[in-house]
Amino acid sequence: MSRRTAFGACVVVAMLAMVATAVPATGAVSGSSAAGGTIRIWTDKDRKADIERIANAWGARRGVNVEVVEKNFGDIRDQLKTVAVASAPDVIIGAHDWTGQLAADGLVLPLSPKKATLRQFPKYSLDAFSYGTAVKRLYGAPVALENVGLVVNTRLATVPKTFANLEKQALAFKAKSSENLAIAVPQAPAGDAYHMYPFFSGLGGYVFGKNKAGNLNPKQIGVANPVFLKNAAAIDRWDRLGLINSKVNYDTAKNAFLKGHAAFWVTGPWEADTLKTSGLRFRIVQVPRIKFRSVPFLGVQGFMVTRYANTHGTATLAKDLVASYIMLPASQRALAAANGRFPANTVAGKQVNDAVLKQFGAAGVGGVPMPNIPQMSSVWEELGGAWLKSTNGTSTLARPTFTTAARNIRNKIG
Amino acid sequence: MSTTAVRAEPPPQRASLAQSILAFPSRVVAVFSGPIGFALKIVLLAVSNAIAIWAGVILVGEQKWIAVAVLVATTLFIDWAYMSKRSLALKFLIPGTILLLAFQVIPILYTVNVAFTNYSTGHILSKSEAIDGIKGNTLAPPANGKTYLMTPARDADGNLVLLLADEATGQTYVGTKEGLTPIPKSDVQVDDLGIAGAKGYTAIKGTEFAAIDRELSNFTVPTEGDAAIRPEGLDSATELAPTLRYDPARDEFVRVSNGAVFADNGRGSFVAANGEELEPGWKTAVGFRNFSKIIHNPLVRDPFLRVFVWTFAFAFLCVGISFALGLFMAIVLDRPGMRFQRGYRILLVLPYAIPGFLSLLVWQGLLNDDFGVVNQLLHIDVPWLFDSNWAKVSVILVSVWLTFPYFFLVSLGALQSIPAELTEAARVDGGGPWQVFRKVTLPLLFIVVAPLLIASFAFNFNNFGVIYFLTGGGPQSSDQTTAGDTDILISYTYKLAFSSGKGQDYALASAVAMIIFFLTAVIAAIGFWRTKQLENVR
Repeated sequence: MSRRTAFGACVVVAMLAMVATAVPATGAVSGSSAAGGTIRIWTDKDRKADIERIANAWGARRGVNVEVVEKNFGDIRDQLKTVAVASAPDVIIGAHDWTGQLAADGLVLPLSPKKATLRQFPKYSLDAFSYGTAVKRLYGAPVALENVGLVVNTRLATVPKTFANLEKQALAFKAKSSENLAIAVPQAPAGDAYHMYPFFSGLGGYVFGKNKAGNLNPKQIGVANPVFLKNAAAIDRWDRLGLINSKVNYDTAKNAFLKGHAAFWVTGPWEADTLKTSGLRFRIVQVPRIKFRSVPFLGVQGFMVTRYANTHGTATLAKDLVASYIMLPASQRALAAANGRFPANTVAGKQVNDAVLKQFGAAGVGGVPMPNIPQMSSVWEELGGAWLKSTNGTSTLARPTFTTAARNIRNKIG
Repeated sequence: MSTTAVRAEPPPQRASLAQSILAFPSRVVAVFSGPIGFALKIVLLAVSNAIAIWAGVILVGEQKWIAVAVLVATTLFIDWAYMSKRSLALKFLIPGTILLLAFQVIPILYTVNVAFTNYSTGHILSKSEAIDGIKGNTLAPPANGKTYLMTPARDADGNLVLLLADEATGQTYVGTKEGLTPIPKSDVQVDDLGIAGAKGYTAIKGTEFAAIDRELSNFTVPTEGDAAIRPEGLDSATELAPTLRYDPARDEFVRVSNGAVFADNGRGSFVAANGEELEPGWKTAVGFRNFSKIIHNPLVRDPFLRVFVWTFAFAFLCVGISFALGLFMAIVLDRPGMRFQRGYRILLVLPYAIPGFLSLLVWQGLLNDDFGVVNQLLHIDVPWLFDSNWAKVSVILVSVWLTFPYFFLVSLGALQSIPAELTEAARVDGGGPWQVFRKVTLPLLFIVVAPLLIASFAFNFNNFGVIYFLTGGGPQSSDQTTAGDTDILISYTYKLAFSSGKGQDYALASAVAMIIFFLTAVIAAIGFWRTKQLENVR
């Protein structure tokens, strides 16, 4: 009997001890959601250190704590939907083409920076983060710009001034060896409408038209517009001559250029370090004009304020950080440099003296921001697939292929 | 990624192993009857109670009373079950039941629940949150709307005011809840950060910002009409006016400029007569709408039969070929006294040991028809991934490569469990090797392997990984649909739900998942029914 009592005592003591450890933990959880005065930022790994430094400098001035949480860049958008309010971020880093989806979901708050601040940003970078079916508002502070360019190995070719010259040089180079590629642009295995966009825009293609208010119109699809279809025979010729081969994947294209088996490579600033350490002599330009200017897609990365900032009672603080402090030239320079991109702020842009970044910047002049409306998710696969099919060396013709793609996109958008 | 073998262990090879496995529970019971076991039990129970208390505090904080009641009841029940001497069976059942509920039942219920909602891009929030969202999104600067440099401050009575300077003209004001009052520029102190303060007002600084944030974000300085100056951060303010007005009594938004009415359409959106839809919408129940969408949508309807037939063929061929190959290898390597037997076995199991998605990406590179190693080494020009029929062959080949080691292992074990007397007796009776195999070994083998074949079939029926990583569902033949030639039901569902419309249609995906679940369930049921017949034969 006494042994049972001893066991009983053990039980009670052990359980009390566990309860005692559990209670402070719960206190901490409920306390942090009530206290406020903390701004939580979700960022990717590359920029974490710089964001910590910049946001802490801001936090010291505004009397708030800053908590920087590292996430996979691609997870930020999706996790924002399901995160619990208590651990939700007030500020996120994001890509401009998330804007439509996040705003349609109601997960991000509109921003109104000072006019003097807005004047320091190119209009397209602000457009890239603007969205609204009823009223167009700005949802993000642009930080860094990126786009693809045509990288030319200047030991193997001269910088082409015209598309005809590019074609001639590329085909002549390809003819020298069976291992050589004419233009190394990745498409396999699933299609890559992003890397192919200069060739698409150069033939008169576009994704969405704009309505009178300047908003992208998901009902107006330019993938098979008459002008582009008229020029589409050029794609069949490129396919026949092997100028572009859709069986090339990212690694094949990259290796071919780095090993001297391609004189021309379509890529972006994420390969800037690779290029600098390659020992090759190169120059980055815009793809020469075909029928129209062959502009690339522009990508803008930036910061957004989430609706959770309202719930946490930190909305004005979060807006102050994003729409004021992060848009300052000094913050922009550091954040863009952190992952090797050109800053969105033009004042900061003038201070960049990295030749590679500048050349990529010049290759993007006149470019089109990737459409930021959520309907764009119906486009990527079809547009990429159309290029894939019409440049794979078989007799598939471009005109019907792009017409089918446009119809599929229309069906998908519904 | 790999096959179901992760869950299914090879059958025991020797009788002694089976006995020791059977004895295992009673040994566990024995350990937990001693004092050490008892102490361990108390600690584990205390941990579970502590977790329950922690969860309880959070649930009480969020006022989820039903969940609290369930939590308390379950915790007390668990405590009772493990402290009482009369509940031996429960002690074994509880952990399994909890895992079953957590990882099977709840996700299934959640999926079923989502299938009857409109959970998708633009329908994430609750209705009241969506209304607040629309109100905020549709504020717009009025004609000649002004922007101001701003700093929050307190007046002599301690009330919150905004010190403002018109960005265009530099004219300075004090903004209160009543409106704008001009103050002389000379009264306002300016530094490099903007407005630093003004005569008669104390600018708010440092830690006080966090305390006033909520008050400040709802602070408006009325100007003309509906327009008001709102703080946008801590150093600027913008004049904005609503373009839509919400009428709570009629539950609708009205556009200020032209009186257009946006009414609740019953499917989670405010929609105008001309079809214009306000964003964000909200998550709501929509009944069987997702299912009717599946039936009526040409994107689903047109390729459905083709995709279904290919899914069936793919799963059937994968399992059939893998089993045949695995069994063949098992028989070949089962010969007693063979040299390097272990080495061969390890080599054969290797594909199974490599993470599936990795080997799939490698295969994707190997099979590239211009730059892939396979074509270059063999000096052939086969369009492995670019031709519709060849892509199908590639997909099956690669998944056979991934799956056969599993059947090799299973068959190896099962062959050893077939009593040698039976095959010997058959041979004595004059049966040739093929006859013995077909009439004795194979039927006995099937009794063990048939359920695994069915499980493997169900797995391959939904083998998203192989399709997604190897071909991405492609190539797309030039018929008029978006389904690729190697798309199986589950990979096509993924395309429908995540790369069409506005992107992420979780509700549609859940609805299709339910249909696929029923298809697989029917196939499995037929399979198990046939297995029973096999056992009757014995």
